[in-house]
Amino acid sequence: MSLGDYLRLLRAKRQGITPWEIEAATELPKGLYRQLEQRYRAMGDDDVIRMLADFYGVPFAELRWRFDWPRKALSRTLMAMSLRQEPLTLHLWNGQVVTGTVMWWDLGALALDVGAEEPLIVQRHAVERWSPRLPNVGHPADEADADDADDPDEDEIEE
Amino acid sequence: MAENLWALREQKRISVAALANRAGLPIGLIMEYESGQRSIDPRHLSRLARALYVEESTIKLQSDPRPGAAPLERQPVRETPPAPVTIPKPPAPRPREKSARPKPVPRPPVPPRPSQLAHLDNLLKRIKKTTAELEAELGKPLSSLDRSAFSTLLKDLQARVQATPMPARHRAYLPEAVDEFEARYLTAAQEHRDLLHFTLFDGSTVDGVVVGFSPYSITVETPDGAEVTVNKLAIVCYTRRPRRQEPTP
Repeated sequence: MSLGDYLRLLRAKRQGITPWEIEAATELPKGLYRQLEQRYRAMGDDDVIRMLADFYGVPFAELRWRFDWPRKALSRTLMAMSLRQEPLTLHLWNGQVVTGTVMWWDLGALALDVGAEEPLIVQRHAVERWSPRLPNVGHPADEADADDADDPDEDEIEE
Repeated sequence: MAENLWALREQKRISVAALANRAGLPIGLIMEYESGQRSIDPRHLSRLARALYVEESTIKLQSDPRPGAAPLERQPVRETPPAPVTIPKPPAPRPREKSARPKPVPRPPVPPRPSQLAHLDNLLKRIKKTTAELEAELGKPLSSLDRSAFSTLLKDLQARVQATPMPARHRAYLPEAVDEFEARYLTAAQEHRDLLHFTLFDGSTVDGVVVGFSPYSITVETPDGAEVTVNKLAIVCYTRRPRRQEPTP
C-alpha cells in the first residue's frame, strides 16, 4: 500500500476527517495533504511524514517505508511484467503472498493469473510490496508520457 | 397670358446656357427661339416649360424680339475651307522641381523570421531531409532566401508533408487512468450471476453474487439472501468461485 493509500485508510479510520482539518491541525502547507493522498508519485519528505505520523499516532517508520513504494512504481512494474508476461509476486496487506502473471490492470485493481481456474483480482491499495521491483521500466515509448499522463489531477492543486 | 421665352427666363433669373442645359436643347436654338427667328417646336415646348417651372400655355410660341436687341445673325456659310487654324501650343510644362525627399532606395531582402526557421526544421524532420539536401534541391543556399521566398518554400514543404502518409501514432497505454477492466469484470460477473469470494482487510471473507458496484464499493447478495455492500478500500482481493460450486437457486 502506497503512502497515499495508507493515509487515506488512516483518515477513513478517523471518521473521514477532512484534509483541510488535518492541514489546520498540523503545519502542512495548504493543499499538500490532498496531493500526498491522491498523487501517484511520492510526495512530501521526511519532515512531512514525521508530522503526519505524530498526527495519526503511528510510528514514523510505518509511514516512511511506504513512501518508497508509490503507486507509480507499481504501475511501472505492472506494465513491464504484463508486456514480458513474466510472473510477479505481490505481498498483500493481509500477509498473503501471491505469484502470477498480470492479465490486466487499471486504476483500482489488477488481475493475476495464479494458475488456478479463475484469476485473482487484487485491489491495488492492498499491495504492500512486490518483486521484482523494476525502477523506471516499462514500454520505452510510453515512459515519458506515462510519467505525466497517469496523474489525473496533476494540475488541480487546491488554492 | 403667354409671355416671351426670354421674359420668362429673365423672370426666373437663369441664363440661356442654364435653360439650354435644363431643357436639354442647344444654346443656339434657345437664342433663336428667344429672338423670334424661329417659333418654338411643340416637341420642345414641354421641355422648356418644365425647365422654367411654368405651364406650357404660359410660353409664347413665337417670341417677340427683345427691344433694343440686335437681330440674331447667322454666320455665313463658308464656301472655301477655312485656313487651318494654328492652335498655339501650350507652353511646355516646367520641369518639376526635385522634391526634397530622396529617391527611395530598394530595400534589402528581409530575413526569414525565427519561427519560419523553426518551422523549416520541423518540416525537414518530417520529410527526413537535411538542410544540405534541401539546398541542393533548390540550387541555392537557404541564406539567400528572403522572408517571402521562405514562406513559399514552407508552403511547398508543408504540402509535401501532408501528402506523405504518416505512420500510426503510438499512444501510451495508460490503464491507470481508467478502471474499465475491473468494471468489465464485475459487469460480466453480475450478468452471469457468478459467485465471488472476497477477502477483506480484517481477515474475514464474504461470498456473494454481484448485484451492483461503483468505483468505491461492490454490493453482493450473499447465499443466505442478505445484501452486503463492501467498500473497495476494505477488500484485499477477490476471485470467482468455480461454477460447479454455484449454489442452485
